[in-house]
Amino acid sequence: MSGTRTTRCPGCDEAAPPDARFCEACGAALDPSTAPDPAPAPAPERSVASSTTWTRPPSATCRACGGRVSADGYCDTCGTPTVPPRDHWAESPAPWVAGVCDRGVRHARNEDAMAIAVTGDRAVLVVCDGVSSAPDSDIASLAAATAARDALVDPAGARTSDALVAAAAAAEQAILDHVGDRAQRVDPPSCTFVASVVEGSRATTAWLGDSRAYWVPDGATAVPLTVDDSWVEEMVARGIDRAQAESSSQAHAITRWLGPDSGDHPPRVVEHDLDTPGWLLLCSDGLWNYCPDAATLTDVVRQALAPVDGGPADGGPATPASAAQRLVRWAVEQGGADNITVVLARHDGDTLHCDEVSDDATNEEP
Amino acid sequence: MAEFTAEVFQNPYLGPGGTDLHAIVTITAQGVEGTSPEAAEIILVDTSGSMTGPALEAAKHAAQVAVDQIADGTWFAIVSGSHVAQRTFPYPNARLAMVPMEPGARAEAKRAISGMRAQGGTAMSTWLALADELFATVPQATRRHAVLLTDGRNESEPRARLSEVVARCAGRFQCDARGVGSHWQVDELREIATALLGTVDLIASPQEIAADFEQLVRASMARGVAAADLRVWTPAGGQVLFVRQVAPTLDDLTYRRTPVDPLTGAYPTGSWADESRDYHVAVRLPSKPVGSEQLGARVQLAVDGEVVVSGLVKALWSDDDALTAPINDEVAHYTGQTELAAVIQEGLAAKAAGDEATATTRLGRAVLLAKETGNDEATSRLRRVVDIEDEELGTVRLRREVDRLDEMALDTGSTKTTRVRR
Repeated sequence: MSGTRTTRCPGCDEAAPPDARFCEACGAALDPSTAPDPAPAPAPERSVASSTTWTRPPSATCRACGGRVSADGYCDTCGTPTVPPRDHWAESPAPWVAGVCDRGVRHARNEDAMAIAVTGDRAVLVVCDGVSSAPDSDIASLAAATAARDALVDPAGARTSDALVAAAAAAEQAILDHVGDRAQRVDPPSCTFVASVVEGSRATTAWLGDSRAYWVPDGATAVPLTVDDSWVEEMVARGIDRAQAESSSQAHAITRWLGPDSGDHPPRVVEHDLDTPGWLLLCSDGLWNYCPDAATLTDVVRQALAPVDGGPADGGPATPASAAQRLVRWAVEQGGADNITVVLARHDGDTLHCDEVSDDATNEEP
Repeated sequence: MAEFTAEVFQNPYLGPGGTDLHAIVTITAQGVEGTSPEAAEIILVDTSGSMTGPALEAAKHAAQVAVDQIADGTWFAIVSGSHVAQRTFPYPNARLAMVPMEPGARAEAKRAISGMRAQGGTAMSTWLALADELFATVPQATRRHAVLLTDGRNESEPRARLSEVVARCAGRFQCDARGVGSHWQVDELREIATALLGTVDLIASPQEIAADFEQLVRASMARGVAAADLRVWTPAGGQVLFVRQVAPTLDDLTYRRTPVDPLTGAYPTGSWADESRDYHVAVRLPSKPVGSEQLGARVQLAVDGEVVVSGLVKALWSDDDALTAPINDEVAHYTGQTELAAVIQEGLAAKAAGDEATATTRLGRAVLLAKETGNDEATSRLRRVVDIEDEELGTVRLRREVDRLDEMALDTGSTKTTRVRR
């Protein structure tokens, strides 16, 4: 948990003693050394700056009731099944950055993946959504997200926009490395890609497919940073009426992706100045399908940022971890028709993101 | 090395708002034989006055055949029962109440049996009470089994007295009960056998006693595990609706539950040979949202307090009718077999009470269920009691001339089930 002064559960934000291995409230693993590897892809080499913390520990605490989980995989008290680590996990490498990746309700497995890392005031956020029509896309998405993150943590002096293009290429190579012969299939494992690098007050974002990035300034409507690589958007770009395009059966089909048959399109890249305090949000369509327009999404994010009622942090402000968890829970409550991934980074305007008062600030006190 | 396996047959899918989960759990023991803890065996022979003649001679022969089957080293005793019970062997004046079997004891026991005389009435509670006393002298023998043979009704004492002693003996030893001829009461022996985790059966003629005893004692000797409990765990908020053994015979265990912990109950199943038994477990859970999964029950076998095998009964809530509508074949089969036993017993009771209308509809339903569940033995036993007009519709007429033995065979056989054809 480098970069954090207090130990807090990445899943539910409950405070924990520094030496605690599991969260008392939700059973999440607190110590990365005890975390299992993501299945089924081989464990990627983790960047020093990142801290992957699965909320499904191999331990024996039920996420539903806190009871003991039996060796047969079910809670001894309430019978809730343990879920594979891949089905639900949360990361929070720094207090101002967090993500939650969840299977949702309807899909049998989680084909979404995320990878995040923080170094000082620089954050790398990646979300990939496995193409559900292509089998084994869960392997592709995890390999791609992890490889892209690792490529962006240390871009070796390249311009950020170039680094993002290179990261997409690294992600595609990682997919090829992980899927083996499955690359030869008619529908080879594939995924979407959206990655943001936050450096000071600038966010640079690249994407392929329909996973999205938004800038959500405090007190104003969310600004979409990405435009879906989808059939609908292509039709709209050609002048077709949006309502008509969206009524098509293939409206949701994506036109760009990462994978063996991607056609090697480079991602589109945008830069956005974060000139006010606000939130950078990356998500898969498991979230935005329930709030497709910016106004609705803004409302949903506002609700997720409301002070926490009840629980350990009662009355306290929302954190990226708690807000991401709430957004995922909201999507589950809407039906959870798809896998859901939400990654959030807090930007506090001119000041740096650190939640601790710096020495400079202390000196400036009147 | 004893090995146990559990197989679960169920449809785990519940519709929106669904709460009730049914499963058939098949528990199979292998390698049990030869791991036998110390055993004790008692033969209880009816020597009331009604046995005088060929019946007593056949019973004595059968007891001698049974003695031949008792393995060396097994603690044993022979009891003759009338309105009082008497120890025939070891002789009443012997110092030990039970002795270990060895060739000398075997020969002496057979001699003692040949001297049995028939006289007096019938008070089976005294027989069971003496057996209980004798077993208590060999606490090291944890596997305890008795065979009880009678030819008549329990006429020398009130029924409540028998029930009281049966209840006291439950859990202390197992007992198979056999009735010979047509003058005994099926419900009396069924009460004994059910509470004492044994079987009840009819032996039509005295010549068949020996073969039956031989088989009973051999089966008893083959059992290895002294006492196993079926355990059923339900999640917090859940409840057990019923627990039934459904094969090889029907036995409702629901009310024999003793708590293990707040979520787990234990149901005694007696001792086990290398065999397979099926249990029908039904639980009620608070409904969960569509898409949820929950463990509905763990069905386990525990030997000496240790869980040796566990079957998982799962619940998955779905709004897909194609998933939630089908009833699992095994569950449907045994639900039918359970109803079959109930309608046969109700039909025969109505017939005995002179309520021919009820008897006709119940036994008609039995004919239909026997056909549906492929229980051909039940069908052939029913044919001796009713004339079947239409098997598919279950329409029957009561036969005018019915041999009482046929009615008793139908009654005692009602709890024998057939397994699902897989």
